[in-house]
This record gives sequence, C-alpha cells and structure tokens, in this order.
Amino acid sequence: MESDSSQTNSAATPAPGGVFFDGLSNRRRLVALRLSDTLEIRESGELLGRWPFADIRRADSPSGLLRLSCLTAPALARLEIRDAQLIAALVARCEALEADLPNRKGVAAIVGWSLAAAVSIVLVVLFGVPLAAERLTPLVPDAFERRLGDVAEAQVKVVFDGKPCSNAAGQAAFAKLVGKLRETAGLDNSVQSGVLATSVPNAFALPGGKVYLFDGLLEKAENPDEIAGVLAHELGHLRHRDSMRELIHNGGTSFLIGLLFGDVTGSGALIFASRSLVTSSYSRDAETNADSFAIETMHKLGRPAKPMGELMFRVTGKEGGKGLSLVSSHPLTEDRLARMDKADAGSRPSGPPLLSSAEWQALKGICGSGRGKV
Amino acid sequence: MNDMSWTPLGPPQPPPVPPPMPVAFAGNRKDFFRLVARGAGLELVTLGFYRFWLTTDIRRHLWSHTQIDGDAPEYTGRGKELLIGFLVALAILMPIYVGYFLIGIEAEHLKAFASLPLVAFFYLFGQFAIYRARRYRLTRTVWRGVRFWMSGSGWLYALKASLWGLLVVFTLGLALPWREAALERYKMRHSYYGDLQGSFEGRGWDFFKRGWWLWLLMPLALSSYVFAPFAYAAFKAIEWRWWLSGIRFGEVRLESTLPRSALVGLYWKVIGWIVLLFAVFAAYLLLCIFLAASIDGSSIESFFRTEAFAKSIPLIVLLGIGYLAFALAMNVVMRVYLMRDLWLRVLSSTIVHNIEAAANVTARGDLANALGEGFADGLDVGGF
Repeated sequence: MESDSSQTNSAATPAPGGVFFDGLSNRRRLVALRLSDTLEIRESGELLGRWPFADIRRADSPSGLLRLSCLTAPALARLEIRDAQLIAALVARCEALEADLPNRKGVAAIVGWSLAAAVSIVLVVLFGVPLAAERLTPLVPDAFERRLGDVAEAQVKVVFDGKPCSNAAGQAAFAKLVGKLRETAGLDNSVQSGVLATSVPNAFALPGGKVYLFDGLLEKAENPDEIAGVLAHELGHLRHRDSMRELIHNGGTSFLIGLLFGDVTGSGALIFASRSLVTSSYSRDAETNADSFAIETMHKLGRPAKPMGELMFRVTGKEGGKGLSLVSSHPLTEDRLARMDKADAGSRPSGPPLLSSAEWQALKGICGSGRGKV
Repeated sequence: MNDMSWTPLGPPQPPPVPPPMPVAFAGNRKDFFRLVARGAGLELVTLGFYRFWLTTDIRRHLWSHTQIDGDAPEYTGRGKELLIGFLVALAILMPIYVGYFLIGIEAEHLKAFASLPLVAFFYLFGQFAIYRARRYRLTRTVWRGVRFWMSGSGWLYALKASLWGLLVVFTLGLALPWREAALERYKMRHSYYGDLQGSFEGRGWDFFKRGWWLWLLMPLALSSYVFAPFAYAAFKAIEWRWWLSGIRFGEVRLESTLPRSALVGLYWKVIGWIVLLFAVFAAYLLLCIFLAASIDGSSIESFFRTEAFAKSIPLIVLLGIGYLAFALAMNVVMRVYLMRDLWLRVLSSTIVHNIEAAANVTARGDLANALGEGFADGLDVGGF
C-alpha cells in the first residue's frame, strides 16, 4: 500500500535514487534503484547489480544516510541512500539488515565468555599456579638453580653494596654455627653462606643453596640462639627450595593477571595490587613453613626458638595495623613470636650453647676488623 | 510483488547539509560519550576483555562521522579480529618472554644487570607492533568503496625507528624532527589508497623550525607542573600540523592550519577533570572510612588508634570498587577529550587540495591481520 503510493509518486516526480560504489573503483555513480524481488541498481539504464534482499547488510554511516553492502557483491561495494522513504521501504524488506553488526546478543556473549575466562584465570592463579610451582620445582636442575642463585647474589651485592666479611675468628664461629644447623637440618655441605657488611638488619636465602646474613642483624642480636634461629629459618627456605618455587609462582601469577587486565608485562596499578595480594599470601605460607622448620631444628639442637622471634621483634617492632596485613609478605612479627613462644613452652633448653661466649664475640665482630683491613 | 523504482534527478541533488569544508566531523558528542561510558561499564563487567570491542566501536564512530569531500569513510575492523590478534600475539610473546628470561640469566651471570640492554629488544618489538597495527587500521579503512592498504616491512621499520631513537637520545631530543620525518616517509611511501600511492613531504627541518623553542623550554617544562601541559599541547599541535601538511596520496595534498594553541584548552580540561575526579574519590574515601567505622561500632578515633581500619574487609571492598570507578571515569574523560575532541579539532583544521585526483582510483590491496594490534596491546604501545 505504501509502495503503491510511492510508485505513483515516482511516476509524477522522480524520487532521488542512491549513490553507488562498485567496490572495484572509487567512482561515485548516481544510480536508480528498483525494488522488485531483488534490489536492482541501474546507472542510466545499465544494470550494475542485483542485490537479493536477504544478502543486504547495513554498513557504518553518518546519521541521515543508509549505507548498504551485499554478501553476494564485491566486499566493498556500497550503496548510499538518503531518501527517508526509500530507506524505510528497504529496511522493511531486508530482514537480515543488522545481522553483521554488533548487537545486544553479541555483547551478552562477550560478557559471558569474559566472565568465564576471568573465572578460569582466577582459578588457575589460586590453584593451578601453586600446584605447578610445587610440581615443577623438583624438576628444575640443580645446576640451573645455582646459576640463578649466582645471578641473584651478584645483584644483591650491587644493591646493598655489601662486601663479604672475612675476619678469621668470626668466620670460624660463623662456619661452626652454620655447620651445626646444617647437619641437624639434614642439608648437604653444598650450602654456601656468609656475612655481608651492610647495616640493613636482614638475612636471606637465594636459590642454589646460598644463605646470607647482613651485619646489621648481627649488631642487633644479643645471643647466638637469635642468630641461629634466623639461619635455621633461611635453611628452611633452602630445604623447601622456596626461592625457586616463588620464582615460578610469581612469574606465572604475573603473567596470568597481566593477561586478565591486558598487559602481558604485568605493570600497572591494578595488576600490581592484585599480584601482590596473591603472591604475598603464597609467600606468607612459605615463611610459616620456614618458621616451623626453624623451630624444629632449634629443638633438635636442644635450643629454644623464641630468641629468633625476639630478635625480629626488636628489628621490626609491633607490626599489627601498620599496613595491610593482607599484602605483607611475612606473617606479623608478634604472631611469629607468639607461635615460637608457644612451641618452646614445656621444653626447657637442654642442649649445650651453640657458641661459646668468645666465639659469639668473634662472630659479632666478623665485619668490624674485616672492614678495617679494607 | 509490487515494484518500486527511484531514479536520480537530472543534476545531482546536493545532500541535505553540504559540508562546507572538504574534511568535517559530524559526530554527536553525546553519542560518543554514551558509547565510551557504556564501554567503560562493560570493561568493568568483563574485567577488561571488552576493550577490543570498545576500541572497534570508537573507531567506527570516529571514521563514519568524518566527511571527506562529502563522503564518510568506514571502519570495517571487528572486535573479534582484535581479540584473535591479541591471543596469537600472546602465544608468540610467551616463549619470547621465557627466552628473554633465560638469556637474561646468562647475561647476569657474567655481570650484574648486564641484561638491561635486552630491554632494547622489546623497544624494537614495540616499534614493529606500531607499524603492523597501523597496517591493520589502514586496511580496515574504506572510502568510496576502496580500501587503504600498506606494504613494507615491520621489522625494517622497527630497525629504522630504533636507530633513529638512539640518535634522538644522543642528541638530547634535537634529532626528533628528522626521526619523525624519516619514519613518516617510510610509512607513507608504503601506504596506498587503492592504486594511489602515498608519500610524505614534510621535512625534519620545517618541524624543527616550528618547534625548536620548545626544545629550549624543555627543562622548564620538566620542572614546572603548570608549564608542562602548555608545552606539551603546543608540541602536539605543531606535530599534528606538520604531519598532516606533509601527507600526499598521488596528487592529493593535505594541509593543516591547526594553530599552536589549539590543544591547550583540551589538555587543561583533562587535568581539571582529573583533579575533580580525585576530589570526588577522596570524598568517597572519607565516606567509606566513616561508614566502615560505624559498622565496626567504634568512633573514628579509636578506629584509627586500634588500627582496625586496615583489617576491615568491607572497607577494603568499598575502596576497591571506588578505585575501579575512578579509573574508569578517567578512561571516559581521556577518550572524550583526547580522542574525540582532539580528532574533531585536528580534522576541522584540515583541508584537502586537489581531491579530484582521487576521482577514479582502482581498488587494490589485501587485508592485514590484527597481529600487530595484539602485540601493541600486549606491549602497551598503540594509538587510536
């Protein structure tokens, strides 16, 4: 009915046709359009194309203009129509006009699949990566781990500007202490250890069996048991190959979280935040295990574990509430101290002191004269 | 079936609103805002995966509302292509990262921090990604039924860009105009519209003449937060104008009349919005703390003294949501001002000369894949 009226219209005053680009050249052709069982496109009588209505698709266009393409025509052939009546008539005939354009259903699919992908990534981060780290760590060859350790050692020495301390008597005392702990802990003699002349109160284990103590921690220590506990804790890390595991775990986590938020290199605030949340909880577990190992080792030697906790408390002070406990890599010092205190309860120290007081004094001075010489 | 026919009038009827300039932008700002605001919401819901489709929709909007000689180009890329490009890029980048890590260890073994030069490799890769991403965008740009396309080698370009980059570093930035000229020459020489080959006639010296004073002012710009946006806006305006004025396709010539001060307002508006958003975020922060304290049932003072606030889960969740909303609002502001408004200002300063030379161009060129876009996404380089 509507088409009838427009037909009579077009007979009286010719209605505007369209502009056609055939997709082979960019020539602008003014064409006449005829809507029969297909859309016929004619330029001064010559048939340029016959587009079946079912194959016609809408293409992006400015407002006030209908731009069409056709599945069975050259991919870039375009027909542009401005006449509102003709647009309405065409829209009514082409059922699949919008089929290729992004629509509500498409967006719903994107949201659905993204959520599925996100859930799967989160599950892999929470369960898959720790499992992979657990299973892969024993497969990493010792030689490779030692290489990693050498690299880390070189960097640590540059960052902290720490020279190894070499006072002979101190060295002997240190070797004795480490030796006792090592044997009790059941580690072989490939363990390398040393004291670095740095005022930062810290100690750490590196992959490939390296344990380093900073002079700063020695200065704060009041008796051999304190240092022994710390060393036992670091030996625990070596025993569990924690550095290697954390490397695999952190690498995998960074990568996956970066994947989620769209930056493979894993920088960016959101990525950093969520990564620290995940990795620090993992590292807290490792620290707790190393503490258990330290407590066990000290008790085997007949010495208390609590002094280690006291030393750490002296270094860090009360930690609770200082920052977000969720993102700290270690358990709170006071919690660790309380745990060691509880573990010691009931067993009185029965073993002999680990170092004589002369040896203890020598250990405390391991860097003093060493530095004097340099 | 009733037949209907429409025949053209004798002389071509001018479109209802004939654009006064060869290049114009007819997009509605509200529509664009709605597009990016909705996109930001969807990005939040999909944890960022929607970015491929949002990028596509932004380009479709910008392309299709631009008018060159009365006809609007069309962006034919699709979000799915970008997603696939990203996934393929990921599959390639993953072993490269592992290799990078292993080589790094070997290098560090010889000397601490010896692996830093390997970063240069990623710079090279980033430049490759920029070239290939441009190629993707160009082959998805269609005007009058003929697409743009690009030849040339992404790696050769990356090598050029890196060597020129070194020179720029050594000359403290003085060589920048010549670097841009050389790179644009390479890019444009390998760009085509159908069988019409592009070229770039901008010379480094012209760019230098317009912008040398900015180089002198650089220390001031780097040290002063108030001055820096002015300097940056002026630099960008000079760069746009010089770049557009150098573009040729066959005999078609572009010219830009963008004034130096054209973009200053834009950057300050963005800064104003960021400050405002920060203020809102800070107010929200305070509100959250009060709320969390009242849930806790303690006074604000004791809430802080007992440091309970650090352990309050509702507070952390509220802050997380606030941060995300803040980040997304920033994204919307950036896209509205630095994409749409910038596009508008740059376009409306552009004049096309001798467009008749592009009146009968034959279609040529194939589609390029979205791998470059994927790399650009993965390495965090990219543009429009």
